[in-house]
Amino acid sequence: MSVDFLHPGEGAAIDTDVPALELRGIGKRFPGVVALDNVDFTLEPGKIHALMGENGAGKSTLIKIMAGVYGKDAGTIRMRGREVDIKSPRDSLKEGIKVVFQEIALISEFTVAENIFLEGYPTGKAGSIDWKKIRADSAALFNRIGFDVDPAARTGSLPVSQQQMVEIARALAHEARVVVMDEPTSSLTPNEVSLLFTVIRRVAALGIAVVYVSHKLDEVFEIADTVTVLRDGRHISTRPIGEHTNDTLIQDMIGRRIDNLFPRKRGAPGSKVALSVENLSTAKKLDEVSFEARAGEVLGFFGLMGAGRTELAKAIVGYDPITAGTITVDGQRLAPHDTRTGVKLGIGLLTEDRKSEGLMGELPVYQNASLASLGAFARLGFVDKAKENRAVQDYVDRFRIKTPSLFQQVKNLSGGNQQKVLISRWLMRGLKVIVVDEPTRGIDVGAKSEIFALIDRLAGEGLAVVMMTSEMPELLGLSDRIAVMCEGRLTAIMSREEATQEKILNAAIG
Amino acid sequence: MSLASTASAKAQPSMLARLFARQELALLVCLVLVLVFFSATVENFLSVRNMTNVLGQASLALTAGIGCAIVFISGEVDISIGSLLATIALPLIIIMNDTNSLLLGVSAALLFGLIIGAVNGYLTAYAGINSLIVTLGTMFIMRGGVYLYTGQRAISDDAALDSFIALSDGRLFNIIPYSAVIAIVLLAAFGYMMQHRPFGRQIYAVGGNQEVARLAGYDVRRVKFICFIISSLLATVAGIILAARVGSAQHTAGLNFEFQVVAATVLGGVSLAGGIGSLTGMALGVLILQFLSNGLRGLGLPTEWQLVITGIIIIAAVAVDEAKRRRANGG
Repeated sequence: MSVDFLHPGEGAAIDTDVPALELRGIGKRFPGVVALDNVDFTLEPGKIHALMGENGAGKSTLIKIMAGVYGKDAGTIRMRGREVDIKSPRDSLKEGIKVVFQEIALISEFTVAENIFLEGYPTGKAGSIDWKKIRADSAALFNRIGFDVDPAARTGSLPVSQQQMVEIARALAHEARVVVMDEPTSSLTPNEVSLLFTVIRRVAALGIAVVYVSHKLDEVFEIADTVTVLRDGRHISTRPIGEHTNDTLIQDMIGRRIDNLFPRKRGAPGSKVALSVENLSTAKKLDEVSFEARAGEVLGFFGLMGAGRTELAKAIVGYDPITAGTITVDGQRLAPHDTRTGVKLGIGLLTEDRKSEGLMGELPVYQNASLASLGAFARLGFVDKAKENRAVQDYVDRFRIKTPSLFQQVKNLSGGNQQKVLISRWLMRGLKVIVVDEPTRGIDVGAKSEIFALIDRLAGEGLAVVMMTSEMPELLGLSDRIAVMCEGRLTAIMSREEATQEKILNAAIG
Repeated sequence: MSLASTASAKAQPSMLARLFARQELALLVCLVLVLVFFSATVENFLSVRNMTNVLGQASLALTAGIGCAIVFISGEVDISIGSLLATIALPLIIIMNDTNSLLLGVSAALLFGLIIGAVNGYLTAYAGINSLIVTLGTMFIMRGGVYLYTGQRAISDDAALDSFIALSDGRLFNIIPYSAVIAIVLLAAFGYMMQHRPFGRQIYAVGGNQEVARLAGYDVRRVKFICFIISSLLATVAGIILAARVGSAQHTAGLNFEFQVVAATVLGGVSLAGGIGSLTGMALGVLILQFLSNGLRGLGLPTEWQLVITGIIIIAAVAVDEAKRRRANGG
């Protein structure tokens, strides 16, 4: 009854009058946040439907409800007119909803072929796995799609872009009614993207409904038939793509003009070099990276997934080992290469992974904030609690950190406020250079502008800010200069004035 | 696609590297080295009699090791198996003494093992308690229960059924101990399951990445639950063989057995983190430790030293393994 990309023509024709999937009045709340509020979303068979919205708009939550990862709190889900109850990913897969998640969801120890058939192994006699068929079918599948991936390779050994192709292929390996792709192009080259688009059109031509999640406007204009925009968990609009222009889409997505997001209050950067990196290389990724960052400057680093931004961030603060090169902070060389020395010289990292590398969620706000500067509050080896709390309270006031008290467990704060706690931690230590890695990841739109203002202020106070980001507006809105990375190398450095999206993307592709 | 193809070329290690990366091959080399060393230094080490004896001794750890490895691969641990060995001997011996039926005794033992496995599995998979804690708890509870019930006295096998005694000293074709035959058959069956049955691959997937397994539609909790039942049932089989060997239900039976099995399993390259390792590796790990202990005894080294050496070997093996894995992932 449904359609199989690998064996097209074997399924029955699809009735195009009935929606493939119809979500009505979907509501979902998490502690402290309404993630989705009365959202409608209808998918027609054979149509490509783009789902757009800023980070935190509710796209991921909506997809996860479709995939059975989250249960919904309100609303109904209908597959071809029939109400269904999706309680687990298994239910969703059974209904023929295949989701390609943005985070790689593959078993890294398995071969590519086995990952493709993870959802249901073809079995031969007596229910044993038919490995021959798995290998042959996955080779055939890649062949049909046109991706160049070795089905026998161990998945974990492949670069991220190839793993992404494996994910995409997997969604097409079984019979499908709805295929959801969550930012599938984030680490693909332009060539691979155009291949993917060809495949998506072929999938749609088979009568499968495709959901395409992206925040890249040009991609959406190229591939989508219909666009639905979410903002702050609410449905904003659903229109044929022909009725949209760049401006109307952006308007729907952010609900205000984009330049308001980046209020610049700081003056021009100084001329003093705060951080100098020369010929930095690491075993895994970085290849002879050299640059300087000046006091009072925001130096933005852009790159596609796997370009090496996070690696660079971790290497220059002394967290990850390096194989060659020198790092100089405020005239002093970072040696030995460790975070202890880094913090002493005045360079610190605001990690992209707050939960596992930044915060101690169970501990109260004040302990998280004072962690790097306990020495300053110590008397005879004991921490002077009163002094510590006064210092933290000062930052809570200055940054308007919303917390009921200093003793609140930090995990109960919103993402934006957690980020401010982390920034306080470093400022309390007296930094000269702060490296921020994806400063607004997982932070909702309203809080984003506060973080932007905070970064602006940091630079205004004379810090050199090195900002790693994958968000173009953030990059263009905040940076004084823009550095672009590709495959561990630095491919361009330009001033904000000469930078255009096109120039940056070209350099990012390498 | 030039980028993709160069990347895949880089990601493909040479044939030789891939062969050496195979845990099992490295372990086999180790086993051969152990055999060669002791055959040169210990008299009669390589004799059929000694070899089959060692195999018979290894059969308990081989049998229980299957379950231990499967639970490890699913991403959990089960250290209750040693106490289970002592516990299941009670229903086994008591019912055989009462009924003179091997079948009834063994069924009772297996039923008991099934219940313990279900308890471990339920508390871990469904109640969400850490499996180390759960099985540590059931380990103490069972050992304490056996002490209480027996008053620390052995309950001897008065029925002395021929078929039961054959489990301890019977040999297939007068060569291979039956206990070893049982272990080998179980190894082959479960080894096949792990590599070629969907359920076996599900266990690897669950241990490899629980979230991914759930997204692929697997019932993660059910998979783990069943792994604990398998582990307890296999430990029960080992316990039955042990009871036949000592001819009684002993309150001290299987003391520290779980750690010998865990040691061999880890030596065999089965990762505590889940998703990695094979039953073949586990079996090689058991054999290496068993032959080592047999050979060292042949050299006249006291047991205390065997413990020290075993400890060093395990840490060294896991360290080497870890270094290798880090390099492999480093590309």
